Amino acid sequence: MRLRCRQKRPSITESVNPRAILLASISLGILSGCGVTARIEPYKETEAFLAEGEQVVVLARKHHAGHEAEEDFVSCVSDGLAGPYYQTGGLNVHDSTAFEDSLYPWFEPSMAPLTTGELAELLQKPKVLETVESSGVRFVVWLDGSTDRFASGGGITCAAGVGGAGCLGMAWWEDDARYDATVWDLREIGTAGTIFADFNGRSVMPALIVPIPLIARPQAAACRALTLQLRQFLTSPSAYGAGPELIAN
Amino acid sequence: MEFMRIKSLWTKLRHLIVAGSSVVLAGCAGASIWVEADWPQPLIEPIPVRMGLLLDDEFLDYVHYEEIPRQATYTIQIGEANELMMDGLFRSMFTALEPVYVLPLSQGDSDRIDGVLRPELDRYEFDVPVGERDEFVEVWIQYLVRLYDTDGQLVTEWPVSGYGKAELNNRDTSLNRATVVAMREVGAVISTRFSEQPDIQYWLQERENATALSAEAPINN
Repeated sequence: MRLRCRQKRPSITESVNPRAILLASISLGILSGCGVTARIEPYKETEAFLAEGEQVVVLARKHHAGHEAEEDFVSCVSDGLAGPYYQTGGLNVHDSTAFEDSLYPWFEPSMAPLTTGELAELLQKPKVLETVESSGVRFVVWLDGSTDRFASGGGITCAAGVGGAGCLGMAWWEDDARYDATVWDLREIGTAGTIFADFNGRSVMPALIVPIPLIARPQAAACRALTLQLRQFLTSPSAYGAGPELIAN
Repeated sequence: MEFMRIKSLWTKLRHLIVAGSSVVLAGCAGASIWVEADWPQPLIEPIPVRMGLLLDDEFLDYVHYEEIPRQATYTIQIGEANELMMDGLFRSMFTALEPVYVLPLSQGDSDRIDGVLRPELDRYEFDVPVGERDEFVEVWIQYLVRLYDTDGQLVTEWPVSGYGKAELNNRDTSLNRATVVAMREVGAVISTRFSEQPDIQYWLQERENATALSAEAPINN
């Protein structure tokens, strides 16, 4: 007679080391704390788009406020628009410095037009309209905003001795990348639309002997998203402007 | 014996650390900046005046020296930038510009030139951030633009200020950029508001009237 014993199947909690479960839970907690949440609101109010031979220039608003769009960010958006995207080629992007220099002094921080009314006045000044037309620039993208650290906390303690060295603790910080891209149509002398991007990133750095930085890059994410939206904005022949679009990655 | 050997080694190491630190600190302590940039020509209608430009040695060799306690010593050479910016600026602003070296002008020069401009760099101030939260290098600059009649009489003295800031990446590069932004700002103000200054407006009107009169006057042979 064969004794058939009912074999007890071990539950998952018994087969895995409890320490491993604890470590995995902590890691999951830390990883879930690190990431970027994003909000992007595109609004296009005209049907204008970048035709063949026309160019776009990306400029930073520099009205001596406390903050202004960082040079790296402006370059990132400008290069992103000029670069290829999947099957499509890059847009015709005019060099920002060359544009400002060719129209000096009209795009200096204190002189640059703040409204489309001021733009209309500027284009009436001698030689300005001719210079804009000869540059081939149809759209000006004004970038305004900045990336700021608004919260940070925790702490890491490191020590070294004869036997070795190590760190223990956890630090975290949150950065907020908030930018506005206002698009002006120089041919129609008006605002073509606005794209608002707000990217919030929380970075954590747990340290268990060795600090492991898990860094969120909201500025880079904002640049990618804004570039993508601007590309769509400048190539789409229709107006659009749905409500806020929420993405989490 | 062993103790003496260790002590001697430690002394040598200490000297090495001190020497190394001095070299590093000397490198960090001083900043020598030669302000340079490409100065664009202003996109404006030239004023119908033949102007002389007097740039004195102090202006051409301007050096700002500042020692900031517990931070660094700064030597900022602005003379060449002064010359390049002002020359390009005024050349675009007037129908004719030529250098002059002395005031009052000689009879021959007075026949060709309507007035003389003599700019002076009056004040230069800067702020390089020390704390972690500060992100920008800032520069304030003030020029005095003096306009003279050809006989050496001062027509007006116009103070023009500019402000510039640049993100702090490399201290020297950022300081150069902030200075250039401030100088461009000065250039923007001079090129767009020169003829709006009341004394200058009056002086230009006088020149215009004189030209109109001489054009209308009958030629007697």
